[in-house]
Amino acid sequence: MAKREQYEYPSELREEFEATDDIHFRDGSRATAADIWHFMTEVAPKKYPFAYTQKKYAGGRLSRDIHLPSAIKHNYLLLTMNDRINKSRENGAPVIFVQGGQSVDPYYAAGGIALRPASVGIWARGRHEGLGLNEEVVRSHKQKEKANHAISFEVCQSAGYEHIQEGDLPVDMVAPYTCLRCSDISYGVEAHRHGPNKAVKLMNIDYPMRHQADKPWAVTYFAQNLRRLTSEIAKRAGREVTDEDLSKEIKLHNEGRRLAIDTAELWWSADVPPTNSVDRRALYQMGGMEVHGDPSASLTVLRESNAYIRDRVKRGIKADGVIDKPIRLFVCGSCVSPNAFRIEEAGAIIVGQDNHWSDISTLVKEEGDPYQNLAHAILSYPYEQSVEGRAAWTVEQLKKSRADGVLFLYKWGCNTQSAIARMLCDTVKREIAIPTMIIEDHEGGSEQSEQMLNRVNAFIEMLG
Amino acid sequence: MSIKRNFFAGVDVGSLAAKSVILEDGEIFATGLVPSGVDSVESGLKALNLALETGGLIQEDLTYIVGTGYGRVSAPYANKAVTEITCHAKGANYLHPSVRTIIDMGGQDCKAIRIDQDGAVVDFAMNDKCAAGTGRFLEVMAGVFKVKLEDLGALALSATELVPMSSTCTVFAESETISLVARGEKPANILNGIHHAIANRISGLFARVGIASDVFFSGGVAKNTGMKTAIEEALKVTIVKPEIDPQLIGALGAAVLARSFSKKEGLWA
Repeated sequence: MAKREQYEYPSELREEFEATDDIHFRDGSRATAADIWHFMTEVAPKKYPFAYTQKKYAGGRLSRDIHLPSAIKHNYLLLTMNDRINKSRENGAPVIFVQGGQSVDPYYAAGGIALRPASVGIWARGRHEGLGLNEEVVRSHKQKEKANHAISFEVCQSAGYEHIQEGDLPVDMVAPYTCLRCSDISYGVEAHRHGPNKAVKLMNIDYPMRHQADKPWAVTYFAQNLRRLTSEIAKRAGREVTDEDLSKEIKLHNEGRRLAIDTAELWWSADVPPTNSVDRRALYQMGGMEVHGDPSASLTVLRESNAYIRDRVKRGIKADGVIDKPIRLFVCGSCVSPNAFRIEEAGAIIVGQDNHWSDISTLVKEEGDPYQNLAHAILSYPYEQSVEGRAAWTVEQLKKSRADGVLFLYKWGCNTQSAIARMLCDTVKREIAIPTMIIEDHEGGSEQSEQMLNRVNAFIEMLG
Repeated sequence: MSIKRNFFAGVDVGSLAAKSVILEDGEIFATGLVPSGVDSVESGLKALNLALETGGLIQEDLTYIVGTGYGRVSAPYANKAVTEITCHAKGANYLHPSVRTIIDMGGQDCKAIRIDQDGAVVDFAMNDKCAAGTGRFLEVMAGVFKVKLEDLGALALSATELVPMSSTCTVFAESETISLVARGEKPANILNGIHHAIANRISGLFARVGIASDVFFSGGVAKNTGMKTAIEEALKVTIVKPEIDPQLIGALGAAVLARSFSKKEGLWA
């Protein structure tokens, strides 16, 4: 019998899934579990065949842990990104291109939608229907190559700028916090500044450097930047923005952050892994409230999932397809995710990633001036501190997650992470004596070469 | 009544050669080495069949097979796949239990591996997407000088001086070599420069993992005497003389693992 080329959700799961919670969107609409099931089993396989690939090397395969509702709902939200963002724009919400690893509270408080480079990529991907995996990879590589030409340098998250410059993604503003984590964002911002398409406004939310949160002037300066930002977005959204709007938004996002922290602590405390690596990553990331382009939707999925994880941990339930005592890997560095499926085949699991966890695990104070509070939190991101500061925080996460080893991954051309990797890994080895491995990724996308996987497999064997 | 004999095989399919080693209990029984083709399954089987023929065995006589090397991902004949890093560690430890550092230079990559007294990997580093220090690099250089790959090292050792090379990129080094020849430099002296440039380059890998005695040199490039000498000079070490063809070490380690996996799985006592 020929092997099915596309993954199919088992039909016997339908009843169980349809009894799960609806997703509530920011505009007041909702998707019932039945709507989601219909989309994921009838619509999306034809519209986005690449997502249903069974190819062994594809890192972006759908989670097979089908009894965890978030596994399906998270992918539903990713695959409906284009339709939802377009609808929100039609309803007057401006779309703002931001940076990875930053919070998005102020953008939503002012009526906008903030998308990080990866999410802009997901939105762009959703505009091309009917593509198989290889066709989708070719499309995305082509866009990236055009961006490399435009920027004159092979940087990491460049495709988003190219989409904006070409006008094929209706982004309304480019306004990232210019954090320290990423050198490529600076190249991208410069390329946008000098690009021919001047219609999309550029606004830098200037991030002061070096022990920022300890300096009152820096906090006030950044708070002023945030006020400029919300005022500009609100103008575009055709509304006013008040301090109360930001306070409410911070409370909402803090709920997401708290749920993600709680979920992580539950996950890390479990005797057997309650989810696979892919679902764990999605759950933690939802706490950043950005990943779906709709914080309310992320929050409803996260609330429901948190209860599932709590139950699984309490009853000692292990995720489908995961071994009992896998090697526990913690991934450091930005913009590269190892192929989690291959890692699990090799007997390991990814227990955490420092990248977005830095902003997700930083709560914002809720009493007092919301701009000052938000600015203070943003300037406290552990990932953006000195290497010593970041390393100390990483060691803490490694202890909490009971990691057996650290994989530090970064893209070729990433000046920041390449400079930090060795120092951070040396600190980890010195402080808690766990093995580390640094890999520079020269490839695009999630279909990693055998050379990269070989290194990761050998590392897992060494830890085993 | 005849006593059942237990045979364990390791098959290492690399980018340039496929190798196999069959162990009978704890002793090397037969080996096979063939050039790799595009079809890695076929290459692995050819190497395995060669060892089986040499030993007068058939595949069914084997208790367990471990696949390694880049071809391990498609090795339907193997019971288990293990990376070549782990296998080189086990292979070197099997031959020389005092070895603590391995330099493995194969067809497409180069590794520095630190191991413990049991042959377990403690740390390792690999070249990053660059052919410098690999068999493929030396193959290109042999092509430039129109000499056999196996004669390259001896030619380098006959040098009267060392011509410095500024690049270890295969493509740029090839152009640089052609320019040096045009300038009148002697091939042996250029090759001496090439071998030392590669040795210096791979010494960076050891800066990451450290060096402890004894040091072992495995992989196809280990047969190159010029490279061995250049590495000894660059790292200031003496390399242990291998008891078997160093290109077979990965396959040997795979066979050693086949023996221990099958014992753990209760296939023999």
